[in-house]
Amino acid sequence: MEKAPIYFVTGGVRSGKSTFAEKLTTQCSQDLNRGIVYIACGRARDEEMVLRINKHQEQREQSNVSWQTREFPTDIEESVKTFDHQPVVLLDCLTTLLDNELFSANTEWSQIQASQVYDKILAGLETIQQNVSTLVIVSNEVLHEYSHFSSVQLYQRTLGLLHQEIVQRAEKAYLVESGMPVMMKGLQS
Amino acid sequence: MHFVTGGSYNGKAKWVREQYQVTDETIWLSAYQDHDLPENMDHHSKRIILEGIERWIKQDSQQFNAADIRASWNLRIEGFLNWEKENEDRHLIIIGNDLSKGIVPIEASDRTWRDACGWVYQDLAERADRVELIWYGINQQLK
Repeated sequence: MEKAPIYFVTGGVRSGKSTFAEKLTTQCSQDLNRGIVYIACGRARDEEMVLRINKHQEQREQSNVSWQTREFPTDIEESVKTFDHQPVVLLDCLTTLLDNELFSANTEWSQIQASQVYDKILAGLETIQQNVSTLVIVSNEVLHEYSHFSSVQLYQRTLGLLHQEIVQRAEKAYLVESGMPVMMKGLQS
Repeated sequence: MHFVTGGSYNGKAKWVREQYQVTDETIWLSAYQDHDLPENMDHHSKRIILEGIERWIKQDSQQFNAADIRASWNLRIEGFLNWEKENEDRHLIIIGNDLSKGIVPIEASDRTWRDACGWVYQDLAERADRVELIWYGINQQLK
């Protein structure tokens, strides 16, 4: 099956990466005349999280295109069952997904589990790619600080390897700094 | 002297391996493999790669303050550059993890470590002929 292009967007906390990714997704949906599916990996665990989710939901509702939200804290490949006519998909975000996948295992993290989760996430993204017209992936920059905790190091390592692989597969990759997208890969459209 | 930096697990070493001809004659010293930082440069080799210099700086941060670490690294850098100057085929490539964008560490020695890294990296970048920032396998030449 043909694979849709991947657009990768990353940045620091509150860098405006999600807002930029939403714009990018809207643009794709208009260019390709396809609907939008928003895959939310975040779990609304506390009030702050609810507020953050609501804020982004409001932003999407204010836009002219219709956003269909699907919540997949884990097992993102299951989302394709809900797709219709190869939509443009925005997956927000990879760091939360990795967090959920590693924690849902509910046991001590190990190198083996981390590499299984790595394979699982890449396979899930590939399944989505085969069922959409464009896949936009949002992630976080969290690899510029040292942690003494081996579990955090393992998380960082898995995330870094995922980012490297996704950037390699991506048609376009952006690093958002203070709301300004810097194109790291791809041709300026 | 070339300096290659970027976040951890961003593919810095992989990029260096692909970019530079790494042969049997290349001396690749890695702090992650518990290699020691050479006090005297190996005069027989033409190409030396030092990987994970933040780890070596960390060893210093157990005993010294950030300013002293910076000063001692400046002497080292001087030695590196002199070694390179003696023969035009000689080439040193230094790889360092960027630790500068997290929250303030609780432990004082970690703060010293982070400060020293930032300073040493500034000095390396200033003295280097070429500086590369690696972002998930993609390089951005800063100098």
